[in-house]
Amino acid sequence: MRDTPSAGPQPTVAEKVFAFVDERVGLKQLTAKMLNESVPGGSRWAYVFGSILLFIFGMQTVTGVLLMFYYVPTADHAYASTQYIIHDVDYGWFLLSYHFWGSSAMVVCVFAHMSQVFLWGAYKKPRELIWVVGLALFALVMGFGFTGYLLPWDQRAFWATTVGVEIMDKIPVIGDFLARFLKGGPIPGQMTLSRFFVIHVMVLPAALIGLAGLHLFLFRCAGPAGPFRGTPVELKAKTDYFFPRQIWKDVVGMAMVFACISALAFWEPVVLLDEATPDPGDYHPEPEWYFLFIFQHLRLRMFSGEFGQFLASMLLPGLLGVMLLLLPFFDRNPERNIFKRPLALIGWVVLTVSILLFTVSAIINRDFLD
Amino acid sequence: MQKAEVIRTRYRSLCIVRQAPPGIWMNDHMSPTKLGFGILWPACWTGLPIKLALAVLFLAFGIVDFESRIALAFLMLLASPVTVFALPTITMGLGSHIGEGAGIGLLFMLAIPVDIWALGLTGRTFFLERCRREPPARLGLTLWWKCALVGAIFLPILWVAERATTHVSVSAAHSIFEDGFLEGTPIAERISIELTLWGTVATVVLSCLFVIGLSLVGRMLRGTILSAPHAAENYEGLITRWDLMRVPADPGLMLTALSGVAVVLSLLFWFSLPVLTPHPHECCKKAEVRVAPEFKPFDTLNKDEKMISQLAARVEFLIEQQAAAQLEKQKSKKKGGADHEAVKEPDATEPVPAAVMAP
Repeated sequence: MRDTPSAGPQPTVAEKVFAFVDERVGLKQLTAKMLNESVPGGSRWAYVFGSILLFIFGMQTVTGVLLMFYYVPTADHAYASTQYIIHDVDYGWFLLSYHFWGSSAMVVCVFAHMSQVFLWGAYKKPRELIWVVGLALFALVMGFGFTGYLLPWDQRAFWATTVGVEIMDKIPVIGDFLARFLKGGPIPGQMTLSRFFVIHVMVLPAALIGLAGLHLFLFRCAGPAGPFRGTPVELKAKTDYFFPRQIWKDVVGMAMVFACISALAFWEPVVLLDEATPDPGDYHPEPEWYFLFIFQHLRLRMFSGEFGQFLASMLLPGLLGVMLLLLPFFDRNPERNIFKRPLALIGWVVLTVSILLFTVSAIINRDFLD
Repeated sequence: MQKAEVIRTRYRSLCIVRQAPPGIWMNDHMSPTKLGFGILWPACWTGLPIKLALAVLFLAFGIVDFESRIALAFLMLLASPVTVFALPTITMGLGSHIGEGAGIGLLFMLAIPVDIWALGLTGRTFFLERCRREPPARLGLTLWWKCALVGAIFLPILWVAERATTHVSVSAAHSIFEDGFLEGTPIAERISIELTLWGTVATVVLSCLFVIGLSLVGRMLRGTILSAPHAAENYEGLITRWDLMRVPADPGLMLTALSGVAVVLSLLFWFSLPVLTPHPHECCKKAEVRVAPEFKPFDTLNKDEKMISQLAARVEFLIEQQAAAQLEKQKSKKKGGADHEAVKEPDATEPVPAAVMAP
């Protein structure tokens, strides 16, 4: 009598393809590693900002590539091609407006993500490197905003860049070189536009992809910090895997961000001012909204004069940056509960309120000037 | 039914690793403010994604315009469990509005079932996890009408009080700089100081009013909580129940349904999205396009034939007229030139008799 193998159900094409890839790259193991990471204390809405930032970056890439099909990065045609995108390309106005508001959403979400990490004390040992790389990513996001703002080549873009480059000029040692390199001439022109365009679409995305990968790798090595409250037993009782609950929350968060950015694109679509000229006319030059608080500082009398301007535009923000960079190395207290770290709590509140206050002041000041 | 339970149990065992904590804590003495906040905060955020999707669709349809008050509209939509009945009072009674369009009323109408669902979901979690009590039947509806009632009465009061406070504090901050010793303060400093002064007062008053409002909601809900029986299980059992409550009976069906809804919403969004910008720039206004009349070859041919025959008739008439005139001239020459009366030359521009022009 011959032994016959048990006839199980035949694998589908998809299963065969999966098995083929799995045999070569270990897909099952990789998927298990990605999805079965335990989240101490269970999934939370507070943890969605990292995934949301990745989503926004993905959407910015998609909309950016679509815009590049029509945009011409020359001083002669940048303005006209942007107007063409807005007025003649099908859905061009929405793509451009989504890209514009997406950059603002990215800044807001980076701030929210950093605030969450800071307040949760998640930058402390052994997660110092994640924090440092996160700060570098924050700088890249600001760089994206700064370089992208010039590309439409209208008065707002031209003067925001002029103000930004002038502020950059005040950096000691390298400021003059940086400003001259970015401007490429006495006033912003073709060289400025070319350099900003290349930095915006090639240098910064490459740097961001690399650093974001490193950030995720370091995060996976150290693992999630979990909530700062609750006994170890309570935390263990609520511990989840990354899939499905945290992924579900992330997806809902992404959908909400998409809806918010779309709503903003409908509410205030991008409308260009007049084409860029070296004469501001009636336009009052000012940078993007997320640099407005620094700009408002420069208007204060206490920061007038060469040294005052340097103090407000470079020294104070620079000191803040250095302090944030060194934070995990000098804050060695293992306590993570923000309510037991009064200095950290007060510092965060003062910084947030100051940014808010000076940003709103700058807007009121603009209305006053108009 | 049994199969569904098996799926849920398997799913649950995949998702969670647990251990019961020692001891049990009770929350019967929770303050009303904490109670109100504990239910309203998660409920508002739970319902928001659905409400936001509707709002974006309405924006794409063009039936909602939030003007310059989009932040306020967002807050009102977020807090729709308490703003739903207060909004008409604020809009019609107090003359404030969050935007224009019929879509606003529809949006808040559609928010009602969403809020009932969200309050039910978060309320059951709150009852089990925080209060250790059995959630009563139709909890969502009970919580919703109580929240909406408190909001309908309290929010207009909050609105009026906050508006008056802001108005008075802005005037007071202005007067300090206009009449007082700070008259010569530079404009940038003045703006920041004024903003700090009136902003602090307005924020403090708003925070106090919020706390009072949450406390009122908490007091309204306390009765529902106290009337619910205590849960019999220990902490582990409660967490398991609370957790199972959030697992769909059929995850596959749920996923398919959600994907279907997402596809429908996406299609609706792209179909309703205007192709060209709704706000064209002055420099790029489109030239008015005149529609060319429809070309009908037979009509045109007939018309041209008629015109040609008319013109041919006219030419023939002119030739005949000229020939008659020449004949008349020759006759008069033959008469010997006695008659010097000049023969009048026919005028080519002379109107053609109507009989000739007739088809």
